[in-house]
Amino acid sequence: MLESLYKRKKTSRFDVLFYIVTGIFIILGFRLFTMQVLEGGYYQAKADGNHLRMVPMTAARGVMYDRNGQILVGSRPAYTVSIMPTGKPLAEEELQKLAVVLKKDPEEIRKKVDNHKEGYEPIRIATDISMDVVTNIEEHRHELPGVTIDVEPLRFYPYETMAAQLFGYVGEVSEEELEEFKAKDPNTPVSGGTILGRAGLEKLYDNVLRGVDGGKQLEVDASGRTVAEGERKHTIPGSNIYLTIDVNIQKAAEEAVAKQLDQLRAEGAPATGAAVVVLDPNTGAVLAMVSAPEFNPNWFARGITTAQWNQLNTDENHPFENKAIAGEYPPGSPFKIVTGAAALDLKKVTPDEMIFDSGRHWLVDKRNAAGEALGWINFNTALAKSDNVYFYEMGNRLGIDNIETYARYFGFGEKTGINLAGEAEGNVASAAYKRKIFDDEWYLGETFDAAIGQSFHLATPLQMAVMMSQVANGGIRYQPYVVSRIDNPDGTPAEIFGPKKLGSLPISNHVMNLVREGLRDVTTEGGTAGNLFQNFPVNVAGKTGTSENAHGRDHGWFTAYAPYDNPRLVIAVIVEQGGFGSSSAVPIVHDILAAYFNVPTKKNKTDSAVPSSERRGTANGRDNNDDAPVKPVTQN
Amino acid sequence: MWLRIWQRCDWTIIISTLLLVSIGIIAIGSATHVNQTGLDASTLVAKQLMFFLVNVVIVIGLQFFDYRKLKDWANSIYVITLLMLLAVIFVGTSALGAQRWIEIGPITIQPSEFSKLLMIICMANMLEPRYEQLHTFKSLVFPVLYVGFPILLVFMQPDLGTSLVYIAIFIAMLFVSGIHLRLVRIIATTGVLLLPLAWFILKDYQKQRILVFLNPDIDPFGSGYHIIQSKIAIGSGTIVGKGLFNGTQSQLNFLPENHTDFIFSVIGEEMGFIGCAIVLLLLFLLIYRSIHVAYTCNDRFGMLLAVGIGAMLAFEVLINIGMTMGIMPVTGIPLPFISYGVSALTTNMISIGILLNISMQRTKYIF
Repeated sequence: MLESLYKRKKTSRFDVLFYIVTGIFIILGFRLFTMQVLEGGYYQAKADGNHLRMVPMTAARGVMYDRNGQILVGSRPAYTVSIMPTGKPLAEEELQKLAVVLKKDPEEIRKKVDNHKEGYEPIRIATDISMDVVTNIEEHRHELPGVTIDVEPLRFYPYETMAAQLFGYVGEVSEEELEEFKAKDPNTPVSGGTILGRAGLEKLYDNVLRGVDGGKQLEVDASGRTVAEGERKHTIPGSNIYLTIDVNIQKAAEEAVAKQLDQLRAEGAPATGAAVVVLDPNTGAVLAMVSAPEFNPNWFARGITTAQWNQLNTDENHPFENKAIAGEYPPGSPFKIVTGAAALDLKKVTPDEMIFDSGRHWLVDKRNAAGEALGWINFNTALAKSDNVYFYEMGNRLGIDNIETYARYFGFGEKTGINLAGEAEGNVASAAYKRKIFDDEWYLGETFDAAIGQSFHLATPLQMAVMMSQVANGGIRYQPYVVSRIDNPDGTPAEIFGPKKLGSLPISNHVMNLVREGLRDVTTEGGTAGNLFQNFPVNVAGKTGTSENAHGRDHGWFTAYAPYDNPRLVIAVIVEQGGFGSSSAVPIVHDILAAYFNVPTKKNKTDSAVPSSERRGTANGRDNNDDAPVKPVTQN
Repeated sequence: MWLRIWQRCDWTIIISTLLLVSIGIIAIGSATHVNQTGLDASTLVAKQLMFFLVNVVIVIGLQFFDYRKLKDWANSIYVITLLMLLAVIFVGTSALGAQRWIEIGPITIQPSEFSKLLMIICMANMLEPRYEQLHTFKSLVFPVLYVGFPILLVFMQPDLGTSLVYIAIFIAMLFVSGIHLRLVRIIATTGVLLLPLAWFILKDYQKQRILVFLNPDIDPFGSGYHIIQSKIAIGSGTIVGKGLFNGTQSQLNFLPENHTDFIFSVIGEEMGFIGCAIVLLLLFLLIYRSIHVAYTCNDRFGMLLAVGIGAMLAFEVLINIGMTMGIMPVTGIPLPFISYGVSALTTNMISIGILLNISMQRTKYIF
């Protein structure tokens, strides 16, 4: 062409055409080369993202068993409805259709789909749908191309609200959490739709319980319809854990609390909540743990509704708080165990020394609850009848520093170390504490308050139970524990937890025997809990308490162990704003023990099985000189 | 006679055309899932194949005429073209928002496709006497009006793409007609300077199209969707492709219009860089040969015809393949010989027939 015989002008113009055409093809070829050869991998990944969906298959979470192998928390199969993201917004008709079938607000569904920005995992729209809805969706299959129905294991709490704060609850991973997981570990097994433990043991042992989600690879077309199924990655179910909880005791405790709260409220007490801890004093194993009010973790497993969430969230009585470990209350009269043990141990008093209760202490004008006066009393009577004046005098003789030291011997003011999240420390009143917080001197009147468990003392029900365990078992402090065994995925034990001894009380056995005897007499005729345990066939030792509450009615305490001679249970109960411990907390302990020892609960009209002559206790005197709500009086 | 034809034939053109149409039919088969539906007369592949065979006969038949006879019919052709384009506006069926089709019995024809070739014939006839005469703006007035009228009709369908093809053909033919370079320079400079102003007279949706073309991600589910999916299809084909019927983009309907305007994306996905490079090479050979035919033609009418046909093919290839790779805006221009469409195929085949005719006539004098 170039060596033309034709005119120069014509030749050059054909050359220009040729160059233009060549240029066009070079540009196209270059672009093609860039896209297919250089950037092919990038586009391949995009194409795979378009048509391949890794559909996660949720692993069944591990089961929580009680100490006898009863299932406390398990899983059950449930139908879930998901939408396969297509990379495009959901078609309006499909959305409306789905909303009608599921009886849901279309906006709610749209929000869920729109929130799902990254990834192509199916978006879970509804969980645990009924067979009717499944049928309905299948009938409209052609109108709902991107909708899939799967059977997935759904977390199931067969006892509904039981021990809800202890067990916790689960929920689907949120988009933000997913990003966090991926930022921490790019190979995280957590993916969209993974169920995570949100609270309690579900959260604490999430790694154990969760298992590894599997998945199946689906090939979908542009409308999200599945055209083929690829390879599967099988799920690895979560490992089981065994709790020290005894479901029968737990059930009895739950029922006793519910019954008592109803009763108290019927009588006009606020009774805003309650907590129960039942320990095995010989091991520290938690046999039951109740915190009222409770919530139903099944709501979360199914996907909580806004109404349910608002109801729980606005409940002033904090249903999510595990009051057994996180609730801090003035210990009140059960603290007299500490004061009494300290006074005997330091020989500030002999068990037989008679101290005159005139209704008020002679140094500081502090009185018994109802202004009663018990006259000349010894240590045993003072403890059994919970005499305040006697223990003011003990405080007077001990001084705040000794009270603090002995309180710490019993484990107050520090976490018990139970492996649960959110445990509170409590507090021990001390001169140092007052100086630190209020920058003020310590007064004798405050020592009096501290001696009877008021002042700055704060204790959790679990601490109270640990204190009582040491009284019951002869002075060994065990770390309370609630998980006894963690399994491997194959069911063999991975880890076994047993009693863990933290220390022993440095108090002579003789002193502790005297304390135990005093506590024994609390539940006999004339003791502060004597009424209810009058005809109880098992000997119970315990201590009632009524602790002053600045925000409302007094809290009622009762902490006890039984049988007296061979303790198997320690129970600590608090009823928030329940009034006197003897009337609010004691019935709960009574019912739990009655259930445990198979005692008929209806009032026994005949004489008790135990002859009254065998019962100790003072014949005279009122049976309730307990727990006077003593206002701290500051002397100036 | 047969032997002479056999010897004088431009085999490059013939073989390139046959290969391109074959690749096209295979790609259409894949795009329309012919492996699932089975091959019967109703399928688009069968239609395309049938029309291809008919066209082969027409192309052979065309060799018994002298293309110069077309000059005698040029004026009638011009009138017929205008009538056809008017007919589309008044009795045409619309699809995809544009009126481009006329239904005749069982087939629908797309007059704007045929009109491209018809206009090449008319333009060649009109420009032949003006060869090397186009030195002044005044001399351009008639050619511009002559071509401008049908362009306007196509533009009103509306078919922006085809009217741009007309303009490209016209410019190429003016260029080889010896338009004075001074005029070219002035027109080109004014055009470049006025281009930004065009933005202000564009309608909103046209502006949107240009923005989407520059960045498809601003509207990934609307007009950007085609471009994004097409790029994914081509890019994911890599070097050897995913294999026929195995393209996930085209087989699972992620790629729209995959047997017509986006057929190149199917080839890119399923036949890879190798397949695409072969297609580009064949198209290049064809266009190169058409320029070569024009260049070696000793007849100005034939030269102009060949340049027009070459320009038409080159521009369509640029616009269509560029569009599938995201470097050209989306317009409804098919890929010559490969896209499904019997009107386009017939037009392109007849163009090849004319090209072959010119190439044989020019050699008459050599022997």
